[in-house]
Amino acid sequence: MAGRRACIVGGGMCKWGVREASYIDMVQEAAKACLEDVPGLKPTNIDGLLFSSTFVGRRSVQANTAPVVAERLGLKPTSICARVDVLCAGGSTGILLAKGLVESGMADVVMVVGCEKLYTPERWQVQYDEIAAIDHDWDAPQGIGPPPLWFAMIAKEHMKHYGTKREQLGMVSVINYGYGYTNPKGHFQRKLTMEDVLNATEIAAPLGLYDCCPLTDGSAAVIIASEEKAKELSDRPLVYIRGGAQVSLHSVSANWPGEHLGDWPHLRLAAKKAYANAKISPKDVDVAQVHDCFSISEIVEVEELGFCKKGEGGLFVESGQTKLGGAIPTNTDGGLLSCGHPFGATGIRQAIEILKQLQGRATNQVNGAAIGITHNLSGSCVEHTIVIYGREPRK
Amino acid sequence: MATAWIPFLEGRYSPTLDMWPIEAKEFNRIYKFYENLREGKFTTTKCQKCGRVAYPPRVICPECYSDELEWIELPKKGKVIVVVEKWGGVPICYEPPLIDAWIDLGKDSPVRHILSRMINCPPESLKEGDEVQLAVFDVPAHPIELKKETIKAERVFFAFEPVKK
Ligand SMILES: [Zn+2]
Repeated sequence: MAGRRACIVGGGMCKWGVREASYIDMVQEAAKACLEDVPGLKPTNIDGLLFSSTFVGRRSVQANTAPVVAERLGLKPTSICARVDVLCAGGSTGILLAKGLVESGMADVVMVVGCEKLYTPERWQVQYDEIAAIDHDWDAPQGIGPPPLWFAMIAKEHMKHYGTKREQLGMVSVINYGYGYTNPKGHFQRKLTMEDVLNATEIAAPLGLYDCCPLTDGSAAVIIASEEKAKELSDRPLVYIRGGAQVSLHSVSANWPGEHLGDWPHLRLAAKKAYANAKISPKDVDVAQVHDCFSISEIVEVEELGFCKKGEGGLFVESGQTKLGGAIPTNTDGGLLSCGHPFGATGIRQAIEILKQLQGRATNQVNGAAIGITHNLSGSCVEHTIVIYGREPRK
Repeated sequence: MATAWIPFLEGRYSPTLDMWPIEAKEFNRIYKFYENLREGKFTTTKCQKCGRVAYPPRVICPECYSDELEWIELPKKGKVIVVVEKWGGVPICYEPPLIDAWIDLGKDSPVRHILSRMINCPPESLKEGDEVQLAVFDVPAHPIELKKETIKAERVFFAFEPVKK
C-alpha cells in the first residue's frame, strides 16, 4: 500500500513590484488570491501554516512572525505554525516541509506563504541590507552583499572555461522577459530586444541592468494537502509533489566547492538526489522554473540540472531550447528576471506556475506537461533547493 | 525630544546595521584573528588533534569537533584569477567602482582561494595573473557599554591591493 502522498492544490500571488503596502498587507492579498484558486476551502479548514521570509524583521520590525500571519489570515493552525528563512529558497523549503508534514500524517492542509517587503522609507537600505543575507563577517566586508559582483565573476569564469558568449547571456533575458510580458502579476511587463540588453546600464561587466533580476516587494501562497483532501478540494487534475532535495556544501566564498566558479557541484548533487528521490531523470522533465537571479545563473543551471551537457548552457538557450516548443521550456511565467525576486516568495511563485502547467491552464502552456521542476539557489550560491512535481505520483 | 524617542534617529548604535564584524573580545571568541590582522598577519585556526585547517577561524574543528586549536598564518600574497568592477547599485558605504577579485593563494596554502575587495587599485588596471597582497585598514569604531563607562571599540579589516611592479 502506498503511504500518504502530498499534492499542491492551488495558489495565488499579489501584484509584485515596488508596492505601496506593508508585508502583512501583501500576505493577505496573496492568501486571498490563493483561496480564490481553491473555491470551497475556508481559512478554518487549513490546519498548518509555514511562513517564508528573510527580511521581515530587518526591513520591518516583527520577530516571531508566524502567529501574526496566521491571525491576520484567519487561520487557527493545529499542526504547524512556523517561519522558514532560507533566503531565495524559503518558499520551496516551506513546500518541502509541508510535504513531509502531510506525508507523515501530522498535517492535512497546509498553507505555505512567502513574502518580502524590500523597499524601505530611505532607499539606501535596499542595497545596504543585502550584507545581512550572505556570510556577514567574512564576505560582506568584501562588498558582495549585493550579489552582482559574485555572479559577474561566475559569468567571466564560465566564458573563459566554456566559451560562453555575451549574447547567449542576453538571450536568457530576452526570452524570460518575453514570457513575463504575459504575466500581469510580475514586476515588469515589457519585451526586450538583444539591443536593449546589450546597451543597458552596466552593473558589473559582463552583466548589465537586464542581466540582473530586480529587488521586488511581493507575496505568494500555495495550499499543500494530502491526496485525499486534494480530491475533496478541487476538481482539477491532481499534481503530486514527487520529491526534492536541498544541498549546502559551504557558506563563505573561500570554501567554494567547485573546480572554478563556473562549476557548481552542489547543484549537480542536489539534482542527482532530487531525480533519484522523485524517480525520474532529466529527460522526463517537461517544464522548468530555474533560479534566473542573473542571466548567467540560468545558463549554469540548465547544465547542472542535466538539461544539456556541461558547458553547453549558452548554446542550449541560444538555440531556443528554453522557449515554447524547445526541449524544456523554462521560466514560462517570466522567472526572476521579469517577475522580480521577493526572496521568500519566489519558490512559491515557481510552484504556482508549475501547478498551472501540469493542470493545463498556464498562460504560456507547454502541451501535455506531466513533470515539472523548480530550482532555487540561495544567497551567493551557497545552497540549492529542488522540488519535482508530477501528474502521476512517484511509484 | 519626544517622550518616546527613536534610538536610531538620535544616533544610537545597533549591530544589525553594521557592515563590519563585532571584533571586540567581549563579543566573540575569535578576536585573535583581528588582533593578528592589526599586526599585519592573515591567520586562521588549525586543529591540534587532526591537523585540519579551517577558514574562517572558529572555536571547534569542523572535522573532529576538537576544541584544541592553534593559530596559523596564511599566505599574504596571491594571484588574481578573475576581477570584476561594479559601477551600478553599489551600497551607500562604498564609492563606485567596487572592485573585487577571486584570488589564488597558491597550491601550498591550506586555504586555496579568497574573495577580496581590491583597494589602492585604479579602475581597469588589474588583470588575471597579477600579483596582489594583503592590505589592512581601519574601520569605524563602535561603542560598548561596560559596567561603569562606555568605550570605543577600535577595529581593522582587510582587503587586497596590487603588488607594485
Ligand atoms: Zn580536528
